[in-house]
Amino acid sequence: MSKAFKKAVSAILGLTLCAGMCACNQTQPGTSASGEPDASGAVEASGADADTDAVYGGEAVVGITQEPSSFDPHTAVAAGDKELIFNIYEGLYKFDSTGTLNPCLATDCEISEDSSVYTFTIREGVTFHNGDTLDADDVVYSLKRAAGLLDSQDGTALVTELDCIKDVEKSDDGKVVVTLESGNSELLSYFTTGIIPDGYDNCEAAPVGTGPFMFDSYTIGENVTLVKNPNYWQDGLPYLDTVTFKICADMDSGLLELQNGNIDIFPYLDSIRAEQLDTTQFTIESNGSNMVQIFALNNAVAPLDDARVREAINLAINREDIIEVTMGGAGVELTTAMSPAMGSYYDTSLDGTYSQNIDEAKALLAEAGYPDGFELTVTVPSNYLVHVNTAVELASELSAVGIDLEIEQVDWATWLESVYTNREYESTVICLTSDYAPYDVLQRYASDSSDNFINYSNSEVDELLAEIPTLADTEAKTELYHQILNILVEDNASCYIQDPTTLTAVSVRLTGYSVYPMYVQDMSQVKVVE
Amino acid sequence: MSLNTRQNLKYAGLKFIELIATLFVVSFLTFAAFSIIPGDTAQIMLGPNASPEQVARLRTELGLDQPLPVRYITWVAGAFTGNLGDSSSFKVPVISLIAQRLPVTLGMSILALIMVIAVSYPLSVFSARRPGRIGDTICSILGHVLFAIPPFVLSLLLIVLASGVLHIFTMGKYAPPEKGFGNYIASLALPAFAIALPKIAMTFKFMRSAIIEQNASEYVKTERSHGLSEARIFLRHVLPNSNVSSITIITLVLSDILGGSLIVEQVFNLPGLGRLLLTAIDRRDFPLMSGMIFYLALITVILYFVSDILASIADPRIRLK
Amino acid sequence: MQSKASSFRARTFFITGAVFLGIVLLAFVMSLICSPYDPNATSAREILLPPSGAHLFGTDNFGRDVFSRILDASKYTIFISIAGVAIALFLGVLSGLPAGYFGGFPDRVIMLFNNSIMCFPGILLALVAVAVFGPSMFNVVWALGLVFAPTFARVCRAGAMELKTRDFIMHAKVMRVKPVRIMYSHILPNLMPQLLPATVIGLANMTLFESGMSYLGLGVQPPDASFGKMLADCKAYVLTAPWLVIFPSLMLIFYILGLYFLSEGIRVSYSGRSDS
Repeated sequence: MSKAFKKAVSAILGLTLCAGMCACNQTQPGTSASGEPDASGAVEASGADADTDAVYGGEAVVGITQEPSSFDPHTAVAAGDKELIFNIYEGLYKFDSTGTLNPCLATDCEISEDSSVYTFTIREGVTFHNGDTLDADDVVYSLKRAAGLLDSQDGTALVTELDCIKDVEKSDDGKVVVTLESGNSELLSYFTTGIIPDGYDNCEAAPVGTGPFMFDSYTIGENVTLVKNPNYWQDGLPYLDTVTFKICADMDSGLLELQNGNIDIFPYLDSIRAEQLDTTQFTIESNGSNMVQIFALNNAVAPLDDARVREAINLAINREDIIEVTMGGAGVELTTAMSPAMGSYYDTSLDGTYSQNIDEAKALLAEAGYPDGFELTVTVPSNYLVHVNTAVELASELSAVGIDLEIEQVDWATWLESVYTNREYESTVICLTSDYAPYDVLQRYASDSSDNFINYSNSEVDELLAEIPTLADTEAKTELYHQILNILVEDNASCYIQDPTTLTAVSVRLTGYSVYPMYVQDMSQVKVVE
Repeated sequence: MSLNTRQNLKYAGLKFIELIATLFVVSFLTFAAFSIIPGDTAQIMLGPNASPEQVARLRTELGLDQPLPVRYITWVAGAFTGNLGDSSSFKVPVISLIAQRLPVTLGMSILALIMVIAVSYPLSVFSARRPGRIGDTICSILGHVLFAIPPFVLSLLLIVLASGVLHIFTMGKYAPPEKGFGNYIASLALPAFAIALPKIAMTFKFMRSAIIEQNASEYVKTERSHGLSEARIFLRHVLPNSNVSSITIITLVLSDILGGSLIVEQVFNLPGLGRLLLTAIDRRDFPLMSGMIFYLALITVILYFVSDILASIADPRIRLK
Repeated sequence: MQSKASSFRARTFFITGAVFLGIVLLAFVMSLICSPYDPNATSAREILLPPSGAHLFGTDNFGRDVFSRILDASKYTIFISIAGVAIALFLGVLSGLPAGYFGGFPDRVIMLFNNSIMCFPGILLALVAVAVFGPSMFNVVWALGLVFAPTFARVCRAGAMELKTRDFIMHAKVMRVKPVRIMYSHILPNLMPQLLPATVIGLANMTLFESGMSYLGLGVQPPDASFGKMLADCKAYVLTAPWLVIFPSLMLIFYILGLYFLSEGIRVSYSGRSDS
């Protein structure tokens, strides 16, 4: 993909491919291998090397179901790319497996009173994979590049959310000062964007970062190989010598390769497939994924522009059945735009807003002028089995209220272009993913957001979204997030289905694998059991 | 003798002209098809948000703004010098992508062809010697049934049997030839077998009837009446005279195998040309798609040419037709 | 004597073929008049049930009745193969007959194009066409029709070349019957011994291609049933729910096998007739 295309698609940060899904913090009791140290993935080095059983060396093979499309930390937008390069690049801050944001290449960040100036202290003693030592210049270059502020750039931010950066400078005492266009207290989580050496522009072919693993090779259609970074700044990490990401055609061939011992870790299973694995060979990590699977209804297209019709659809579907059919029951029902995995930001009073009621749905449709239902096209990306299957189940359920749902499968590139970017569709099924940050989840509902592909528009929500970044108090912010969630439900903005649970199979040969409430595979703590 | 040589040359010359004409049409059809289908490569590469200037710049860079005949000549010249441009999704030369996948598909096809010859020849000889007997009947019925099983169904069944039940095959574990030839062959054996089975049935059917026809011919009857041994008649006369049909059938089988391997690769999760093509389709990578289609057709064209020449050498009468 | 033996063989082929085809045709008829369930109706509480009285062939991963889906799939399979072959036959006759009848330059041009198309691996051509124009049953039908047309053109051409030297055609020529009329009312009916088995084999090969394309997701689109797609979807359950593999595979094989036997029967009975 070209730079420009990636730039275009970088608007789609947070949009995910549901064949693979990410993970959350509550590992189910009894499912992890015994005797493993707490592998919560704390970024600070403490304790990581204190483990006496630590076994160094060896390799692990992780199955992935899509071809990487970018190794550039600023233009990689597909979740499948991000999960991989998480091991190569690091940002000033980094999420850990509990969803907590910790200092990483920065040791500290000072945010001005009005949240318009962020000042970072850069960590010392960090070297890049090419041997260069990390300094403030590298950070200035990387952030400018991500925000589109380099002289060679046309001003479009590569990382859309960093578009609000006005300037990045090195202060006299070696700190990095980031000045924003206006105050924004929600920006820290975006400083996880990868830092690369000053002036470096060849990340696509030869990625260079500071992460625990170094890029070794990429064989198109086969695998991506990473090797241990011997000079990693966190002492004692990583354990493995080699990590291979092997590309599998789909979930089914991944399962077979898992059973045949070709791969050690496979993070994309549903429960039906997971049950076929030999429990003496694999442990299954089961986690909520902090994703939102949405039956997206284009609010700008008739008859979906009528809120009564959208409510009727919400009442006509049976979320429990969809989860049963698509995930073998492994999913959490959703009624609004946020997963309960987001903790206090989620409004628990919204649980169970909808329960299937065909009569009421029919009455609403009649009221809206469609007593006999109507025809509706659902455009789904053909490479994501879960979404295609959801559409099949939806078609069957919606036929009960007279809605004739026609399934149109398109390839991923077409989906991105015509559905997400150009919004030329009636309805679609997709998973929305985000960093572990509520603003990231909800910003797409602003009328003018480039991610607002459902064409939702409510001035009240716009105002709330504008207000949140100016607040500093978390409780006040949480209150506003709850308000937005409630408005989305009142408006029946769309049809929210589930937070699909990710089942990750990990070979008993390995230990230390931890799952994140984001779409990443952290291999730094993984080691071979001996 | 000199007449014969002249005829030989004339025939080969005619066939060669035919080859060139076919190559022209094949390349023209490929090029034309990818020129008229919806979707501008430059626009696809840049994405929906690209500015018209950016698209125009890339079009110039790719030569897409040239008149069609010029583009065709550039493309054909590139195709024959191994320069088909860059894949629009992977940003590497199309030819290197194809070269990287070729060992899988080619190895599998050749292996399948060897299996076809190794099994169907002895079997058809055995069957044709006593047509109508139990052995022949069983072979014939089996042939019909195998012929009717789609390769991907056969692959599924073989995977279940070999991998799920017998545990003698490791799914998706492709071993490149540089890491040991034995492993390479072993990793391709089962998929090759899945492709070969229906073709064995097909070849068996054709070869059997060809041999039976030869057996019934006058000269074989005469030789038999002269008291020559059956084995001698068979080896010296029947088999060589069935060569024409065996060349034709092997050519057909080989081009079928190339096409059939595309789906079987996908079932076995092998990183061959089939997977590459599906990836290209998924990413609307027109340069890659057209390159692969053209080269596969090119192989077939050359195959037919060689087979025609070989057939004319085996049976001089063909030249006179 | 020859004819007696071959008519016995022909009859055996016909009967076996008719039995296999009959099963699929019966399914086709049942799908139209008495499908036990809606083939696309899902039921989350009846997932992956083994065959029973209520669900003759069990249920799939959506809780859909496999028996009803098989009936439905027969319908699409039969429809696509017949529609595709009709297109191929039409194009083949249209180009092959004049090529063989007139010979010379038109023949060379037409056959050059035909041979060139045959050089492309057929399934690849169909796949790309469907992928580019969007997967739908309509696109599958015309793409396959186009890919198969040269086969019929060859048969027609060879037949026309042979027949045009026969007395009755010469006679018609002398009587100044228009060439179009000679081709379509004199030659075409006499090509049946070659065209009929080719058509039947064409149906079988078309089905092989269509099921392969559906397997790759580029054929019949969900939720509609097709044998290829059913087999692709059940990959994960081959060991735990074998009924999902067995029944669609069997039906697919029955249809293709039935057509093969039928074409063998036709071929043998024609050659028996000409022998006697």
